Amino acid sequence: MNRVLHPLAWWIWAGSLAIAIAKASSILLAIITVGAVAIVVVKKSENAPWSKSFQWSLKIGMWIIAIRTITGVLIGVPTAGTKLFTIPQIPLPTWMPGIRIGGMVTSERLISTAHDGIMIAAIVALLGAAASLASPHRLLRSLPVMVYEFGVAVVIATSVLPQLVASSARIRQAQKLRGQDVRGLRGWRRLALPLLEDALARSLDLAAAMDSRGYGFSRKRSKYRPNVWRLSEYLICITALASLRWPILVLVAVAAALVAVPSQKNVAELNLVYS
Amino acid sequence: MIVFSNVSLIYPTSTKTILEDLSFKVSEGELVLVMGSTGSGKSSLLRLVNGLVPHHTGGILAGDISVNGISTREVKPGGLAHLVGIVGQNPLNGFVTDIVEEELAFGMETLNLPQDVMRKRVEEVLDLLSLAHLRNRSIATLSGGEQQRVAIGSALVMHPKILVLDEPTSALDPIAAEEVLSIVQRLVHDLGLTVIISEHKLERVIQFADRIIHIKGDGSTVIGTPQEVLKASDIAPPIIELARALNLPDISLSVRDMRRATERLRTELNEIEIPPPPAPPLTSEVVSVEKVSHSYGVSAAINNISLSIGAGEIVAIMGRNGAGKSSLLRAIAGVLKVNRGKISVCGIDPLTLHGAERTRTIGFIPQEPSDLLYGQSVIAECRAADKDNKIENGDTFALLEELVPGISPNTHPRDLSEGQRLALALSVVLSAKPKVLILDEPTRGLDYAAKHSLNATLRNFARKGCAVMVATHDVELVAELATRTIFIADGDIVADGPTIDVLLSSPAFAPQVAKIMSPAPWLTVKDVVAAIYTTR
Repeated sequence: MNRVLHPLAWWIWAGSLAIAIAKASSILLAIITVGAVAIVVVKKSENAPWSKSFQWSLKIGMWIIAIRTITGVLIGVPTAGTKLFTIPQIPLPTWMPGIRIGGMVTSERLISTAHDGIMIAAIVALLGAAASLASPHRLLRSLPVMVYEFGVAVVIATSVLPQLVASSARIRQAQKLRGQDVRGLRGWRRLALPLLEDALARSLDLAAAMDSRGYGFSRKRSKYRPNVWRLSEYLICITALASLRWPILVLVAVAAALVAVPSQKNVAELNLVYS
Repeated sequence: MIVFSNVSLIYPTSTKTILEDLSFKVSEGELVLVMGSTGSGKSSLLRLVNGLVPHHTGGILAGDISVNGISTREVKPGGLAHLVGIVGQNPLNGFVTDIVEEELAFGMETLNLPQDVMRKRVEEVLDLLSLAHLRNRSIATLSGGEQQRVAIGSALVMHPKILVLDEPTSALDPIAAEEVLSIVQRLVHDLGLTVIISEHKLERVIQFADRIIHIKGDGSTVIGTPQEVLKASDIAPPIIELARALNLPDISLSVRDMRRATERLRTELNEIEIPPPPAPPLTSEVVSVEKVSHSYGVSAAINNISLSIGAGEIVAIMGRNGAGKSSLLRAIAGVLKVNRGKISVCGIDPLTLHGAERTRTIGFIPQEPSDLLYGQSVIAECRAADKDNKIENGDTFALLEELVPGISPNTHPRDLSEGQRLALALSVVLSAKPKVLILDEPTRGLDYAAKHSLNATLRNFARKGCAVMVATHDVELVAELATRTIFIADGDIVADGPTIDVLLSSPAFAPQVAKIMSPAPWLTVKDVVAAIYTTR
């Protein structure tokens, strides 16, 4: 029987890795870790809408690197070092000492800003990996009932977001068929209104459905299929937590996830395997 | 079981009274049908039963509703979860988890039931609704009928005494609809469940109903047995219309009863010679599809389809959910780039059409007509269409007035009824005078009056030499409207011919009148009346 890992285990694992690489502050380790984690995501994530989160986090990471590097080069404190090239400097009033826009770009400055960008992008990618690997719905169900309002919001957000992407494509198509150009600011306005209405209607429906099925009515909840912690959960969490002390152990933690975790690919489609 | 005493309901944002002084009792094991035109308050009435109205939606409620002795004033909807199971209009919007089995268990988990009880009840429900083979499937991959069954199942695991269903078959093809309704009927008979159901396609449900509540729209209601209510109501399915047209003394609700009642008439009519329908005149080709195939991943959506549609034709495209109807229409409309084959509309590849040239060639009404609308008011919407289509100011609104008179120009499109919104979208699209009009499931949520007016509009449009293509599950609409019907299954064209031939060849897709009058080839009440006229 295929089984999924406890969602909290994935989050502890990815969170620890993120802290560990931030502590080690080594670009090489960060890049290797993200690469290795990518293999884990490809091998172990389910075929589910949220499995795309990792790809999205990589895209966001690229943007972070680009923006961080550009702003870091343009704005900031002058750094001494080897000169690469000079861009025109914008004069600033004298009451802003130590800050400048433009000016000489040194290789040291380029490297340090790119380094920061890559570290942030790596952390975002690791959190994206956790979101890909653990079902948000299952994660929610392992949280205590106390966070009821929060829980409703999370369920709505996680299930409405993928639907929102789908409806946005649908509405764009409809608008295109009306002969509208859907790009530009005006296009966005024409898309946003039906989209918001759609999302609102869906969220209200979902909240009503949860309400009428008794969500949050009882202080206690039972579990249909309890998420138990077994060897694989303990293994990946302990190795990941150990990497907080010795950052090089992140590689062991990733290897543990690759070896010890069963494939979650067919959790939702077992019957396809059997038939 | 359910007692409404002097219930009145208004919403603070509108001046309209939804319900006024409504009193009735529903006893155990009854199946009550709620009918009324769109926007009359059917959903509100259903949601009053477990207190979603007004606890969840707001609104001013007078009078009292008690369910199994508990007043909905005193408890929130969650407190009635073990008593009332409610399935919304669009079940997909109400799913909380991803996998069938977990969805079934969700409600019981929230009520903190012990695990062994949950396991037992899930197994029971999986068997009861024949869902066992789908237990581990992801809900998003199920068909519409299967999703509806999962939604009903997740209400049933709570062992409710009352099941409330809001238009359970509106999105389903006739066969899936029959499946769902026969399960509901079985639940009533085997488990003594009390069911309250609302539905527009009355022909599908009236034979199961013990009583009908007809909401008139002005706050007043009529309650009675189906015969009593339908005899005088302005909303009537074809079977009732036929009984009225034939002046039958009693109203029958099922095809079987109606056939018995019309036995003599049918033998009389059978003796007359029925001339074969005139062959459709040959017209110039507007849409041509040549050997088109398309697939998503491994599954083929359209499989080597060729067809040609002439000017003035009204073509209905039918088939199960997921048979490839939408893919075909989207390919013809030019938003789907097909893998293989050639499509041309008026001699142009639809993919290359843009802007005003596109609106003058192809008009498309999507499943949700509101996707097309973004204006803040009806008049703003119409002005934008005037500008986009480069036509005289006010033309679009004039067209709308023609389709549905009496819409206030300052209404927000969202506040229109389903039928009015469709009319608005139609007038926006038609004001550009396209050569081809394509509609995807236009009758979802439409009442009979709105359907009749849609019918007239489309016929009028086709008479001007334009082609209309409609993808729909609504057999009665096809019978009334289409000149030609194409039946698609698994991406292949299975049948293509005059509507009368295609509909009569398959009992599941035959309209009610055809089933009653079989073997005579009449699809609508009008056909029957015309035939009687010619004999006398």
